[in-house]
Amino acid sequence: MKRTRADRAGKRAFAGWIGKRVLGGILTVLLASVLIYGALRLVPGDPVLAMTGGRRLTPDQIEALRHRHGLDRGFVQGYLAWIGDALRLDFGMSTNYQTSVTSLITNRLGVSGPLILYSAVLAVVSGLAVALVSAVKGGLVNRAAGMAAAVTTATPTFVSAIGLLALFSVGLGWFPATGAGTGLADRLWHLTLPAVAMAIVAFGVLARVGNAAFAEELRREHVEVARSRGVGAAAVIRRHVVRNALAPMLTIVGLLFASLFVGTAVVETAFGLDGVGSLLVSSVSRRDFPVVQGIALIAVLLFVVVNTLVDLAMPFIDPRVALGGAGR
Amino acid sequence: MLAKKTPAREEAPDGGAGTRRDALGISRLSLAVGTGESEIPLLADVTVRVGRGETVGLVGESGSGKSLTARSALGMLPRGARATGGVTVSGVDVLAAGYRELRDLRRTRVSMIFQDPRASINPVRRIGDYLTEGLRARGVPARGAAEQALDLLGQVGIRDPKGAMGRFPHEFSGGMLQRVVIAGALSTEPELLLADEPTTALDVTTQAEVIGLLKEMQRAHGTGMLFVTHDLDLAAAICDRVYVMYAGRIVEESAGASLFGAPAHPYTRALLEASPSVHGGRAEIKAIRGRPRALAEAPSGCAFRDRCPLAGDECAETVPAHRPHGTSLVACLRPEQVTP
Amino acid sequence: MTLTIPALRARSARRGRRRPLIVPFAAGFLLLVAVAGLLAPVLAPHSPDATSLLDSLLPPGTEGHWLGTDSTGRDVLSRVMYGARLSLLAPLGVVLLSGVLGIALGLLAARAGGWADAVVSRGMDIVFAFPSLLLAMLVVAVSGPGLTAPICALAVSYTPFVGRVVRSVAIQEGARPYMESYRVMGFGELWVTLRHLLPNVMPVLIAQSTLAFGYALVDLAALSYLGLGVRPPDADWGSMISQARSAILQGEPWSGLLPGLAVLLTVVSVNVLGEHLGGSIGRKQSEGA
Repeated sequence: MKRTRADRAGKRAFAGWIGKRVLGGILTVLLASVLIYGALRLVPGDPVLAMTGGRRLTPDQIEALRHRHGLDRGFVQGYLAWIGDALRLDFGMSTNYQTSVTSLITNRLGVSGPLILYSAVLAVVSGLAVALVSAVKGGLVNRAAGMAAAVTTATPTFVSAIGLLALFSVGLGWFPATGAGTGLADRLWHLTLPAVAMAIVAFGVLARVGNAAFAEELRREHVEVARSRGVGAAAVIRRHVVRNALAPMLTIVGLLFASLFVGTAVVETAFGLDGVGSLLVSSVSRRDFPVVQGIALIAVLLFVVVNTLVDLAMPFIDPRVALGGAGR
Repeated sequence: MLAKKTPAREEAPDGGAGTRRDALGISRLSLAVGTGESEIPLLADVTVRVGRGETVGLVGESGSGKSLTARSALGMLPRGARATGGVTVSGVDVLAAGYRELRDLRRTRVSMIFQDPRASINPVRRIGDYLTEGLRARGVPARGAAEQALDLLGQVGIRDPKGAMGRFPHEFSGGMLQRVVIAGALSTEPELLLADEPTTALDVTTQAEVIGLLKEMQRAHGTGMLFVTHDLDLAAAICDRVYVMYAGRIVEESAGASLFGAPAHPYTRALLEASPSVHGGRAEIKAIRGRPRALAEAPSGCAFRDRCPLAGDECAETVPAHRPHGTSLVACLRPEQVTP
Repeated sequence: MTLTIPALRARSARRGRRRPLIVPFAAGFLLLVAVAGLLAPVLAPHSPDATSLLDSLLPPGTEGHWLGTDSTGRDVLSRVMYGARLSLLAPLGVVLLSGVLGIALGLLAARAGGWADAVVSRGMDIVFAFPSLLLAMLVVAVSGPGLTAPICALAVSYTPFVGRVVRSVAIQEGARPYMESYRVMGFGELWVTLRHLLPNVMPVLIAQSTLAFGYALVDLAALSYLGLGVRPPDADWGSMISQARSAILQGEPWSGLLPGLAVLLTVVSVNVLGEHLGGSIGRKQSEGA
């Protein structure tokens, strides 16, 4: 009786907590979108002239452009029109390519999507494997892994990109230097070096954070208790060390995943790939605002969505979180 | 199962290795870590015997090495430690055992109960999981393990065992959790139970309940128990025999009941006098001067001599050998001055 | 807790207190880079802009060009030395700006609490949602290439990194009894904050700023690498790597790898130093408690 009432109250508090988290995320994205839209209004001089890059246009054409970007309206009205379209996945027309921003981005995702996924898998698998082995073995292995993590976290993506390019494609000729390839196997082959270049920093971060998390769990008394009960070494690590370190690891993986989206800018430029990242770079230098705004909004949305999902997953990973989270 | 009462103690406590009949036999165990200059001794010449179904106390202050001694029965030595002497559990040589033998030993013959139940159970796993883990490690199929776990939860007095199986540790009180731990420890029908300060982390009111449960379960299952504690009164009250440890050595072995009347070692006597007690009507509480020593920082000869009111020059010469005095075996040169 | 053996603990504590050998190396390397940049006009063997098509793409170890030359025959060593100036100064600007912003906002949030705290914290959440490189690119799109706008953008981007820590330390320290006693004695809020809270915040601020310096260095170099940062004839390590792209594809990677190595070693050194500073603060605090 008492138990079920407490359970029901707990569930209500839990639902409230979820609602709060989701609302907070939506608020963050909306405020960020104001910032992204507002950036256009901050352009010194006339934004339309900056966009067209000095091309001669008739007053009618300029007026049409002003209208399309909402510059003939007030800030609030212009923003509402823009965000309203964006909610329907319409980010306007690219001034450079004269096509819809949405189709530009979706076309490019065919390269960037697999690249991000490939890179994330590489980083997570290798990073966590090194973290676990070094934490369990300790001693010299641990120090070597620590050193590797310190160097890789400090290696900027463009440095690893040119290093890999110089060694594996120009030097040894194992991988192509440019292009994204066609077909699955060919694409994987083309994307290997870019994915590795992007994964290196993420590997270092995961190896480091993972090592600390695993080492902390290894020191816990319940791990020793499990060993004292004759549970096998592999089962102790799986059930009591890895399982318990899952929560901090997931948080870091979420952050890394979102940062890989922007990381494509550097890698795709270095390897001559036509993805979202290189689209962002060329659009920034050509001041193609609708494209820049669209990509920026997607990046922020991705970051907030991933983080909110990770937050929401926490109570299922660590049962103690639900209690603290709902109480707050 | 028949609750059989074993004789309180043998005629004279043998200082030798455990026999096959014994649940635990530790003989002349010495432990050290490090080598050469930086060698740190942890235990010296520790001899402890626990018969089947017998309750044996191991008493000492923190740093005396009592937990280390208990853990050596599981083969859980500090990293890089070197051991000499013998440790046998039900006839199995623990120090010589490999990974596989140790695992077999731990999942069938010995169980340990640790001080803090909240730290002993993985907080992200369910109670049922904790209980069945021990059984599953022993090869019991999942359904059988669950049934047995339910039965055990009932035995240790958890209400609604079915519901409890699906709950997480943070939903229980410390006392209830320690009951779960006891159920887990007994689930493998061990011959030896190591209880390392099992009530220290609990409220005073639940301490007595847990001790009662422990004794009752031990009697019902016929398990030998090594009860590690810093509480001499508690040990004397529930144990058939008591070992007193100081600075990595056993300084006195005595029948539980006779400790109050006739402590043979000055340290034992000091411990008794230091604790507020209703026994014997002692009103005055005397603190022991100085602080407890670990073996590595103990003075030469008798380790207790720098805190001992009876110490003389000869105490510095050699470590006193164990010799009978009254009902005790004591490592002191002048026990007759402690209890005539 | 798990089994604790005091003698063993004392030994491991002694070992832990020893300063890792790598720390003086890191500090020494940073000093070397800073001096090389500062005294580049005196020390550099060549002008960084002197082209000589006859001497293009010489390998390292060539007489007169110890680190070789790039595709237009410019001396790589001289360019790396001159490049150090912008490569170090720009992130220094980021760190100073974000430090000031972080202290101001962090202290405001911690001391004022309530509405101010909520607004500042939400603002930091929003900024945190923008990856730093994205924010920098966004302002470049608005202002055109150049370093001033990205420096300001990165300063804003790293403000939460500093501000959140300042806020939490300030709240923690502000709750100590001695703070209350000053207030009871009638000292003003601002005076107490600046005179007593600020010094307590300084150590974490320095540690966080050191790490932020490394991140900002990478971001700015990446921006220059993408052609969105420094404008020629100015050069930093990032733009040098970018200019080496065709040489790398021709199999002559040195003019790109060497500035890359300069970035890598500088960032490793900065991180080592930052973590050492952060770690020793953590130790001191746990000892004090």
